[in-house]
Amino acid sequence: MATTSSHALAPTAPLTPSNRGWSKPKRIEASQWLAYVIVGVGALIMFAPFYFMFVFATHTNTGILSVPPPLWFGDALGENLKILLERLPYFWQNIGWSFYVALATTALNLFFCSLAGFAFVHLEFAGRALLFKAIMATLLLPTFVGMVPTVLIMGWFGWMNEHRALIVPGACGALGIFMMRQYIGSSVPKELIESARLDGCNDFTIYWRIVLPLIGPAMGTLGMITFIGSWNNFISPLLVFRDMDRYTVPLALRALQGTGQTPWGAICAGAAIAVLPLLALFVISSRRLIEGLTAGAVKQ
Amino acid sequence: MLAFVAQASAFGAPKITLTVATFPDLDRAAKLAIPGFKKLYPDVDVRISALSAEDHHTAMITALAGGSNLPDVMAIEARFIGQFAESAGLIDLRRAPYNAEARSTQLAKFALAAGKSSKGAMAALPVDVGPGTMFYRADLLAKAQLKESDLTGSWEQFIDAGKKLKASTGAYLVANAVDIKDIYIRASLADGEGIYFDANGKPVVTSPRFEKAFEIARAARQAGIDARIKAWTNEWSEGFRRDRVAAQMMGAWLGGHLQNWIAPQSKGAWRSAPLPNGMFASWGGSFYAIPEKGRHKEMAWAFLQYLVFDKAQQIEAFRQLDAFPSLLEAQSDPFVDQPIEYFGGTAVRQQWSAAVRKIPAVDVDRYDEAAREIVDAQLEKVLDRGKDIKQALRDAERDILRRVRRY
Amino acid sequence: MSSLSASSPKPVAPKRRFDTRRLMPYLFISPFFILFGIFGLFPLLFSVVLSLHSWDPAAGFEAMRWVGFDNYTFALTRDDWLHASLYNTLWIALVAGLPQHLIALPLAYFLHTCFGRWRNLVVGLYFLPFITSTVAIALVFSALFSKDFGVVNSILAAFKSVPLVGAIMPEQSVDWANNPQYTKWMISFVVFWRFVGWNTVLYLAALQTVPRDLLEAAEIDGASLWRRFRYIVLPLLKPMMFFAVTLTIIGNLQLFEEPFILTGGTGGTDQAGKTAAMHMYWVAFREGDFGTASAIAWLLFIVIAAVTGLNNRLLGQREND
Repeated sequence: MATTSSHALAPTAPLTPSNRGWSKPKRIEASQWLAYVIVGVGALIMFAPFYFMFVFATHTNTGILSVPPPLWFGDALGENLKILLERLPYFWQNIGWSFYVALATTALNLFFCSLAGFAFVHLEFAGRALLFKAIMATLLLPTFVGMVPTVLIMGWFGWMNEHRALIVPGACGALGIFMMRQYIGSSVPKELIESARLDGCNDFTIYWRIVLPLIGPAMGTLGMITFIGSWNNFISPLLVFRDMDRYTVPLALRALQGTGQTPWGAICAGAAIAVLPLLALFVISSRRLIEGLTAGAVKQ
Repeated sequence: MLAFVAQASAFGAPKITLTVATFPDLDRAAKLAIPGFKKLYPDVDVRISALSAEDHHTAMITALAGGSNLPDVMAIEARFIGQFAESAGLIDLRRAPYNAEARSTQLAKFALAAGKSSKGAMAALPVDVGPGTMFYRADLLAKAQLKESDLTGSWEQFIDAGKKLKASTGAYLVANAVDIKDIYIRASLADGEGIYFDANGKPVVTSPRFEKAFEIARAARQAGIDARIKAWTNEWSEGFRRDRVAAQMMGAWLGGHLQNWIAPQSKGAWRSAPLPNGMFASWGGSFYAIPEKGRHKEMAWAFLQYLVFDKAQQIEAFRQLDAFPSLLEAQSDPFVDQPIEYFGGTAVRQQWSAAVRKIPAVDVDRYDEAAREIVDAQLEKVLDRGKDIKQALRDAERDILRRVRRY
Repeated sequence: MSSLSASSPKPVAPKRRFDTRRLMPYLFISPFFILFGIFGLFPLLFSVVLSLHSWDPAAGFEAMRWVGFDNYTFALTRDDWLHASLYNTLWIALVAGLPQHLIALPLAYFLHTCFGRWRNLVVGLYFLPFITSTVAIALVFSALFSKDFGVVNSILAAFKSVPLVGAIMPEQSVDWANNPQYTKWMISFVVFWRFVGWNTVLYLAALQTVPRDLLEAAEIDGASLWRRFRYIVLPLLKPMMFFAVTLTIIGNLQLFEEPFILTGGTGGTDQAGKTAAMHMYWVAFREGDFGTASAIAWLLFIVIAAVTGLNNRLLGQREND
């Protein structure tokens, strides 16, 4: 199993500017035009749900539930927000909790994963290779198997309804350690570490003073991945939270569903608010995120 | 009553916060109780949290299993009572200091029975009950020159009325043929009989009761008088709003939903009638229980008693939410004779009150929900794919037997 | 399992009394092992124990009753809903999964070769679904798939008047959420929509490693776009195909959020949209049967391992060609 994973991750070789695609096609074959059209239509389909989310957020329920549905923006955004806050009186609080959980999880992951990645690359210790393989192997373990006992454990810890039940278990992911190991291995020269050691730095000082400043890009990628994952997490909060004022955003939105009358306008307004931070993050950094993801860790 | 209050208030020295976990619309009834309760216990804060009914019960199962984060008072909906009544995590209210048995005669017998476990433990007390009734739109019926008696006669008459209604107004008489089955299998039971299981836990879905229920549902579908809309969806509420569906059989508590959010604009047009063919059924209702691991059990008991046994509170919940009282004393209050504007100034509560007296004490089973799923799936096959009814019910029985595990 | 025994540092006969240096690395990697031990490994082991017992957790540990493999036999032989949900899971995994790759592969190649500065924008659009909240977007989709008022049905109705295409369009508006015939299609579409961009990005990444000169040489030799794809790119992409398909299999067989939201947590009429993971959740937290739920979890794990293994044989080996 462990071999499977290391093999599987093998193709994620670093991406260098020299082999990044082609500047311009030289001539355009006839069938290519068709392909352009198809890709364009596909992109539209990909984007359409977002478009309708924003459009519906500005229409009343009666407007949305009509034939044909509205295709352009309306003027009921304020009304929808009012309904949203009526049905979810803690919505702003929920957003706050989502930020709190996502930021805390991200910060802890960045610290623990980079520390472990550094240890795996630049420190010598017995069982290093084996321990790393063990970490990779855990990626293959299905999380859902532990779902039922996790609920009991959280109960025993008294962590039900507590946000640490989300933050602590997710504080150090195997994928993060892998990414950090890859990046540190390719971008922090061994000589640098050695010379610092000769200067009398201890391992932690080396990590803090030398390694950390050098791994900004990888930290950015891992940070984004962790933030997005945590922000979107649904199953863990579903198991842990009982009170609406503790909910994170996905759980709050889902609470609008299934109570008879589903307020579509308000749901879309809420969904738009839940998606906006991600969209903003994505627009700012989509290139790094995509390339970071694709290359495991990118040397820019 | 006062003796109980005095006894319980001795505990209320330090300021405590009582947590009550419920679901809508029951949370509104609980909120109504706070001012009155605070008069008796000024030092107690009551915090009411509500999740959708599905989420609430899932959360409660999780909390009971983990033994943590439990509310002091827990609401349970009728659909789930069979399962929750068996939980070891709820206090048997017969025990001292609760001694609920002494007061239980004040409550509707049939609902009280549902809150008991198979071993006789009193796990939950009913706070409201759901006499099955038929809500209908008088204006739409009038357009088709139909009268209430056309709906409340035999089922054949009911279906004929539906055809006439459809022909002259285009509206459907029922949202879904499944509703007919649901009301029929709940009706005409004897005391101690269960909907899906007998007292020994044997499924009874091949009985004539189910056969007839399926037959009527199929006849309704074939007559084209059901809108094929699932209850509690957007299409369902929109169906009432847009005059597409003219009647709905359900618990009396649906009246509160109609008034509050489904169709407030058709005020005066709705009426409530007895079920067709002189049937009486219990549909829904709510219960309250106290978890063993709750923090303020005595105060929880005080609040539970206030919700269940306080006549003014029971009537207030009735008035505002059509939550029909479980307290017998409140059922016979002159208040039930008042006309209600929303229902065209008719005294619908009188009719519900009469119905409630005829409802048998139905036995609940922890597998009721599973049985309902299985029966519904078979009915779908009968309605949409022309499956033979007898065969469908035999299959349902087989599936239920496979599903049920009793140690 | 080896990770547990290995996680505690072996006593490495210290030369000096306080050689913290030797312990430092273990300290640095310890957070993962501590957290995994408590929140990863222990639940797994405990779930094995649970699966062999019948237990109402509210009654305390003493109420735990050993039932051997009874939970497993029940799940395998009598739990009709598990069987239905397993079928649904495999169905959705295939219908949502296969097109993801059939589209993502050529799309990635096309984006890689024929798009200049527009590439990032187009990739961004395709990738957007992957980063957004499943819950938020699934809720939007339930509005789009609404029977009487949904955009999807409106579009289908619009196509009805188009000759040829119109003939295959449905007569009536489709009840996506409640008609068992259509529920799985709806879920599959949303899953497909969410992950096609992710796979495209994976393949784009692999394409970066395809030597540029190789393709240019082929182009000069007059090989068409398609032939270059078929004979140069595809063989080189096999390792990534294996990786991406593995991820799809593992992800799709654990599918929970999309069907959960789209069917309002119920699984749809006649359980048509209920996946195995949903059924496990339902058995645990609706029926309150933690023992059977744990047994189901392990059975599902076996299914996933088996399908992954099959994939390993089909795609994993040929990569050595």
